Amino acid sequence: MRTVLKKILTAMRGGVNELGEAVVDGQGNRILEQELRDSEHELKQAKQELASLMAEAASLARQIRTEQDSAAKREDDARKAIAAGQEDLAREVAERIVGHERRASELTQTRELLQQRIVGLKDRVQKAEKQLADYRRELQVVKTNERVLRTTAQIDTNINSQQSSLSTAKETLERIRERQAREEDRQTASAALEKELTGADLDEKLKAAGIDGEQDAVNDVLARLKGGNANP
Amino acid sequence: MDTQSLTLALGDATHAGRTFDVMPIAGEEPVLQVIVSGAEETPVYITVTDTQILCLAYLFDEQELAPERLNELHENMLRISVPMPLSSLGKTGQHYVVYGALSPTSGTSEIMQELVTLAENAIDLLQTFEDYLA
Repeated sequence: MRTVLKKILTAMRGGVNELGEAVVDGQGNRILEQELRDSEHELKQAKQELASLMAEAASLARQIRTEQDSAAKREDDARKAIAAGQEDLAREVAERIVGHERRASELTQTRELLQQRIVGLKDRVQKAEKQLADYRRELQVVKTNERVLRTTAQIDTNINSQQSSLSTAKETLERIRERQAREEDRQTASAALEKELTGADLDEKLKAAGIDGEQDAVNDVLARLKGGNANP
Repeated sequence: MDTQSLTLALGDATHAGRTFDVMPIAGEEPVLQVIVSGAEETPVYITVTDTQILCLAYLFDEQELAPERLNELHENMLRISVPMPLSSLGKTGQHYVVYGALSPTSGTSEIMQELVTLAENAIDLLQTFEDYLA
């Protein structure tokens, strides 16, 4: 990922990509995509292998248990034979027990080797998954970068062919100011209209002329109170 | 969401009292120009990829800026980028841009919100950084 980001920055600084050329060239992109596919393939294989190894380990565990169970059962048989004084039969059973125990121990060894391979494979799967996520992230960065460059190049060509050129920031700012001024005018006008409709504008004019209905009423009440006349 | 369904969805829609004027930009890439009512001066461009819907508006070009104040501008742009709602500041080619990326599963209302915010942010940013123009 670091390499990809550095490549992009170096190419950008060099101004190589003003026209939307691919930063990590098509070749590099294809290599990344190939790596991604390889990783995906390896992951799939490793997972399949892991699944079959785990199935094998489970089957071995079952076989080991069967051998151990058989040995245990035969031990009972052997004890009974000895109790019945059947020495030869007891020996025969003991031979069987040895066979079961030997197979159980062989199977256990195989299973332990298998467990080691499973641990190793799980590790490989985990690494492949991480690698895959890394490749995907890298590819996304590269592709997005290319897309942005191509998109902006496309916008520029298009607008350049329609208008004389892309408007400059100053022209845009001028147009913004004009619109904001128009909006402000409209607001002032509608506020004035509002006042006119409610008569607020007339009240303001009267007030300015020193004619204030509200103030007059207050003054009247004060005068009345001062005059001590409780019943007007 | 692709540019075609976006064109159809935005054409008749209103969002927070805004309408959208959508025009495809001819070329290989699927690009739309969207003019948001009340912020007509700063058109927003949309392109849709597998992983994101990218919306961007142009602010100014490098050659329009006062070179001696470039460092200060960059510093301020980085600082303002974090708190700015839904948009980030960036540069592509010679263009300084304000942009926002959405998930390709975003609905029309999220996209409209993004477009309105982006167009308004572009205006605010232009006016904020006007002093840095040459």
